[in-house]
Amino acid sequence: MPVAASAIYFLNLRGDVLINRLYRDDVGGNMVDAFRIHIMQTKELGTCPVRQIGGCSFLYMRISNVYIVIVVSGNANVACAFKFVVEAVALFKSYFGGAFDEDAIRNNFVLIYELLDEIMDFGYPQNLSPEILKLYITQEGVRSPFSSKPSDKPVPNATLQVTGAVGWRREGLMYKKNEVFLDIVESVNLLMSSKGSVLRCDVTGKILMKCFLSGMPDLKLGLNDKIGLEKESQIKSRPIKSGKTIELDDVTFHQCVNLTRFNSEKTVSFVPPDGEFELMKYRITEGVNLPFRVLPTIKELGRTRMEVNVKVKSVFGAKMFALGVVVKVPVPKQTAKTSFQVTSGRAKYNASIDCLVWKLCIYTRIRKFPGQTESTMSAEVELISTMVEKKSWTRPPIQMEFQVPMFTASGLRVRFLKVWEKSGYNTVEWVRYITKAGSYEIRC
Amino acid sequence: MAPPPIVQQKSSSPSQPSGKSEVSDLKLQLRQLAGSRAPGADDSKRDLFKRVISYMTVGIDVSAAFSEMVMCSATSDIVLKKMCYLYVGNYARCHPDLALLTINFLQKDCRDVDPMIRGLALRSLCSLRVPNLVEYLVSPLSSGLEDGSPYVRMVAVLGVLKLYHISATTCFDSDFPASLKNLMLTDSDAQVVANCLFVLQEIWNLEANKSEEANRERETLLSKQTIYYLLNRIKEFNEWAQCLILELISKYIPSDSNDIFDIMNLLEDRLQHANGAVVLATIKVFLHLTMSMTDVHQQVYERLKAPLLTLVGSGSSEQSYAVLSHLHLLVMRAPMLFSSDYKHFYCQFSDPSYIKKLKLEMLTAIANESNTYEIVTELCEYAGNVDVPIARESIRAVGKIALQQYDVNAIVDRLLQFLEMEKDYVTAETLVLVKDLLRKYPQWSHDCIAVVGNISSKNVQEPKAKAALIWMLGEYSKDMPDAPYILENLIENWDDENAAEVRLHLLTAAMKCFLKRPPETQKALGAALAAGVADSHQDVHDRALLYYRLLQYDVSVAERVVNPPKQAVSVFADLQSSEVKDRIFDEFNTLSVVYQKPSYMFTDKEHRGPFEFSEEIGNLSLDQESMDNAPRFDESDKDLLLGTSEREENGGTSINGAATPGYSAPHDYNSSLVPLSSQTQSEPAVTSQTSFAIDDLLGLSMLAAPEPPSLKLNSKAALDPGTFQRKWGQLGVSISQEIPISPQGVGSLTTPQALIRHMQANSIHCIASGGQSPNFKFFLFAQKDDGSASFFLVECIVNTSSAKAQVKVKADDASASEAFFALFQSALSKFGM
Repeated sequence: MPVAASAIYFLNLRGDVLINRLYRDDVGGNMVDAFRIHIMQTKELGTCPVRQIGGCSFLYMRISNVYIVIVVSGNANVACAFKFVVEAVALFKSYFGGAFDEDAIRNNFVLIYELLDEIMDFGYPQNLSPEILKLYITQEGVRSPFSSKPSDKPVPNATLQVTGAVGWRREGLMYKKNEVFLDIVESVNLLMSSKGSVLRCDVTGKILMKCFLSGMPDLKLGLNDKIGLEKESQIKSRPIKSGKTIELDDVTFHQCVNLTRFNSEKTVSFVPPDGEFELMKYRITEGVNLPFRVLPTIKELGRTRMEVNVKVKSVFGAKMFALGVVVKVPVPKQTAKTSFQVTSGRAKYNASIDCLVWKLCIYTRIRKFPGQTESTMSAEVELISTMVEKKSWTRPPIQMEFQVPMFTASGLRVRFLKVWEKSGYNTVEWVRYITKAGSYEIRC
Repeated sequence: MAPPPIVQQKSSSPSQPSGKSEVSDLKLQLRQLAGSRAPGADDSKRDLFKRVISYMTVGIDVSAAFSEMVMCSATSDIVLKKMCYLYVGNYARCHPDLALLTINFLQKDCRDVDPMIRGLALRSLCSLRVPNLVEYLVSPLSSGLEDGSPYVRMVAVLGVLKLYHISATTCFDSDFPASLKNLMLTDSDAQVVANCLFVLQEIWNLEANKSEEANRERETLLSKQTIYYLLNRIKEFNEWAQCLILELISKYIPSDSNDIFDIMNLLEDRLQHANGAVVLATIKVFLHLTMSMTDVHQQVYERLKAPLLTLVGSGSSEQSYAVLSHLHLLVMRAPMLFSSDYKHFYCQFSDPSYIKKLKLEMLTAIANESNTYEIVTELCEYAGNVDVPIARESIRAVGKIALQQYDVNAIVDRLLQFLEMEKDYVTAETLVLVKDLLRKYPQWSHDCIAVVGNISSKNVQEPKAKAALIWMLGEYSKDMPDAPYILENLIENWDDENAAEVRLHLLTAAMKCFLKRPPETQKALGAALAAGVADSHQDVHDRALLYYRLLQYDVSVAERVVNPPKQAVSVFADLQSSEVKDRIFDEFNTLSVVYQKPSYMFTDKEHRGPFEFSEEIGNLSLDQESMDNAPRFDESDKDLLLGTSEREENGGTSINGAATPGYSAPHDYNSSLVPLSSQTQSEPAVTSQTSFAIDDLLGLSMLAAPEPPSLKLNSKAALDPGTFQRKWGQLGVSISQEIPISPQGVGSLTTPQALIRHMQANSIHCIASGGQSPNFKFFLFAQKDDGSASFFLVECIVNTSSAKAQVKVKADDASASEAFFALFQSALSKFGM
C-alpha cells in the first residue's frame, strides 16, 4: 500500500473489539466507535465495503462471524488492502488449523498480536508467507530458531528466508514416499434465460496441489490448452494430435511458477512449496460443456395456485455420475401448502429460504445421479390469498448445486506432470478432476 | 493455548473480583512473580500477561500495572517479551515518565545475540512514540541499519520512519535518509530494499513542499537508474513490495518509446500474478506509460481486459468490488472497447448491491447499436428485482440508454410496459424517465401521453415522480383531455404536499395549462396562486408572486415566459468534468477510483462531508450525563468565532447572520447560503396574508430582521395527545425549515430518548416519537411562560445520515413562533455537546 494502514480491528457481529492494533497515530484512538455508530448500527452495513467517515476511510470485510476493518487516513490502495486481509486470514487459518471465527480469535489472541506485529510494520505490509513465518513464530511459542543450541537442525539461512527471495520453500526436506496430488477444480457459472438461451456462461478453474517431495524438485506440468500444444508442436515440428484443445481466456499462477518460461515456452514449470497450495487459476468462456440442463415451467393458476414443473437432464458421459445435486425453485413468501411428485430424490418446501428444495441424490439406492439420465419434479403450490403481496413477487432464478467428479466442464486435462530432482527419486502422481456448480442460475 | 478470560465488565461472580480491584489484583500477582526464578514461573507469567493484554484489547485501562509489567519483563521467553513489548507500546505515550523505565531493558535487548530479539526490541523502542526519549533512539537505530541480520535491518529501516514522525529534525541531523538511500541501492535483501523505498517515499513526499532538496531527492527516486535497478530485481520482492515498486514506476517519465517498451516487456508477466493488487499495479504502469501513444494505449486496453475480467470473478466480493471500480473507470473512458464483453457485466442474483450498481453503470455505458437489444432485455429483467434500489437503478439505466441511442422505438415501448407493472417504485422511476425522454424526443409524445394519462396521480407518491407527472400534465395539457381536472385535484390538496419541488411544478403546470385552456383552468390557477403566495417556502412563494405579477402585467408576456417554443434537448449535462475524470485516472489503483472523486476531495479538510469529526472524535462519548452538563459559554464562544470567520468569507451579509439571535453554528463554513436561510425564518409568518398584502410583503426589508422579544418557556407545560392532534390540525405551518445537526449530536442520537431528554431540559417536551436510525421523527411542544395558554407545536424529522433535521413549527401565537424557533434551534445545536 503506497499509503500505510493506520489501524486494524477485528470485531464480532455485535461490535465488540476482539483485536485492535494501532500502527500509526494519525487516526483517533476510538475509530472503532465511529465504525460501530456509522456503519455497523445503520443500514449502511453491507451496502459498500469502503466507506469514508470524517477524514478516514474504513475498508471492511466480513469473514464468518468476524469483521476485519482496516482504517486508512490517506488515499490508499484498496485492492492491496483487501488482498492483505484475505492473505492474513489465510495465514491465521493455517496457524489455527482450519476455522477462522470469533472463538478461534479469542483462543489465539496472543498469537494474532504476534503475527500482526510481523506481517505489518508501521502500516506497511511485510512478509505474509506462512512457510517463512512458521519458522520463527510457532504456535507453542517456543524460542526463536536463532537462539536454539547449535546442535539443532541447521537453520543458518533462516533470516535470509525470513526476508529473502526463494520465499516459498525450505531446503533439506525429506520424505520417505515422494507424492504429488493434483486437483483440478472447476466451477461452472451459468445464467440462462427463461426461454432456454444461455445468457452467460463461464468456467473458473483452479489447480490445487499437494506436494510431499524431498529436496528441491523442479516440476513441469503439461495441459491440453491450445497455446501450449501449438508451441510444443512448433518446437517438435509435428502436427498437433487430434483431440480437444482448450483456449484459456486468462491464467494466473502461484508465485513459484517461472513466468518468463511460461511466456517464452508456454510450459508451466516451477519449484513447488511444501504441502498444499494453489498452483494456478484460469478462466474459460468458449466451448463450455454444461453438465446439466434444467427445463422449468411455472404456471400461475389464478391468485392462489401455482404449478411448478422442473425437468433436470444430465448431459455428461453415461459412465460418470454427479453427487449432491440440489435444485432450488423460489416460490412466493405466502406459500401455504405444497405437494410434490418426483421421479427421483425427494422435494420439500423450505420456508426459511422461500424455496422448493429438490434433492435428487438422497433416497436413491446409490446416492448418485448418473450421466445421460433425466428426472422430473412436479409440484403444486397453494398460496394464502392476499391482495397486496402477490404483485410484488418477482420470480428469482432457479438455482442448482452439484458436483461431478472426473468431469471438467472446460474439457481441460493434464497431459503430463514431470518431476525432476537431482537425487533422481521416483514419484507417485495423483490427478483428480471435479466440476462444481458456481452460480448456476436459470430464470423462470 | 489457554483461552483468555472472558471479560465482562459488569459481571461480578464471587470468585472473580470486578473492575478496579481486578487490576490491583493483577498488579499484586505480577509483583509476586517479578523476581521469581522458580520453574513454571514463566508459565504463570504468561497467563497473567495474557489477561492484561485481553483487558487492554477490550478497552479496560490497565496502565496502572505498568511498573509491574516492566519488572516482569526480564525474561528469556520470547512470547512473554512480545506481550510485554505490545503492552509497553500501547501505554508509553500516555505515561512518558514510566516509558523511561523501559528504555533500559529495551536497549539491552537491542544488543542481544539473537537477531530476532534485537529486531523486536528495536521495533518496540521506536514504537514508544515519546518525544523526549528520542535521544535514546539514534544509536540503536544506526547500529540496527548496519546489523548483520537482514531482519534487524528491515526493522531499523522502518524505525527511521517512526523517528521521523516523532522528530523530523533528529532524523535529518543523524543523516538517516542518506544511509537509507545507500542501503536501498546496495542491500542484498529484498525486503530491506523495499522498506527503504517505503520510508524514503513517505519522507520525501511529506518534505517536498518544504525544501528544494527534498524535492530533488524525490526526483532521484524516479530517476532512470533507480527505476531500472528496481525493475531488474522485481522478482525478488514479495507481492506487497512489488505493488509499491510498480506504483513508483507508474510515476516514472520514460525517455523515449524504447524505454516504454522495455519496461512493458519486463513487466508483462506481472499481469499473470495471482495477487490481484500486483496485477492492478501493473495495469496502472501500462496505462500511464502509454498515455502519449494513442494506438499503443488502445492495444494496452485490449491486453488488460482478460486479466481484469478474471480478477473480477475471483476472490471475495470486496476484492471484486475494488477491481470492478477500476474496470468501471476504464469502461467509462473507452466504452467502445468493452462493447463486446457486455455479458461479463450481467448481474448475478447473489451479487451484493454495490457490485450490481457498478455493473449496471457499465452496461449502460457500453450499450451501442449492436448490443442494445440484449442489454436492454437484461436490464428489464432486473426491473422486477427484489432489491428495490437495484430495480430502480436498472430502470434508470434503460432510460439512459434510450437517451444515448438513435433508435429509441423499442426502448420506449419497454418503458411504457414498466408503467403497466403497477409497482409504485417502478412507476415512479419510469415517469421521471419518460419526462426526460420527451424533452429529448418530443416526437414520441403521442404514444407516451396516452399511457401516462392513464396513471392515477394517487399511485404516485415520490416527489420526483410526481413532479415529472405534473410537468407532463402542464406541457401536454393540449393532448390530455383530463389535464386541467387532474391539476385541479392536486391543487386542492396543496397543503398535504410536503415537497417544495412538487409545489413549484404545480404552479408552473397550472400556468401552462391556463395559457392553453383558459376557461377550464382559471379556477385552479387562482387557487394555486393563492396557495403559492401563502406558502412558507421561499421559492414557492416567489414563483407564485412572479406569475401573479406577470399575469397582471400582460398575459402575452406571461405566455412568452412560461411557454416559450422549446427546442429538444440534445445532450444532457455530464455530471463530472473531464478534468476531474483525468485526475481520478491519474490516481488509478487508490481510493479515488472507488469513491469516484479525486483524492483532494476527501483528504483535504475543507472538502470533507458533514461527518467531520476526526478532531472531535475524542469527545465522541455516549455518556448522556456529561453531555447535558456541557458548559454553556462554550456555545457563545463558538458563535463569536463563527461570526468572525463568516465575516471574512461573506463580507457584508454576515452581519445579518450574526445579528440573528440564536443563530446556531452552521456546518459548512463555506456555504454562503447559511446566512440567507436563517433570514427566511426572520420573515413574519405568512399564513394569514392574502394577495392584497403582496406589496407589503415585498416592501418588507429583508435585511432588517426585527429583534424578537425574549421568550421564556414553561418548564412544566402539559398537553394531552388529543389536544395536540386537534391543534396540529387547526393551525397552519408558521415555520418550516431544515437545520443541520452537529456530528456529536448525530453520534448521540442512537435512540429517540436521548434527544427527548435533552429537549426536556430546555423546556421542550415530547408527545410522540419514533423511527429507527437513520430516520427519527419527533412531535414536540412547548408553552409560553407568561400565563397565557399559548402553545408551540413542532414536528421534527431527523436524518442522521445526512445530519439534518426538518423542522415544522405551528403556533397559537404566530408572531412568537420565530423567537421560539430560534430557541429550538439553539437547543438542538447543543445536543450532544
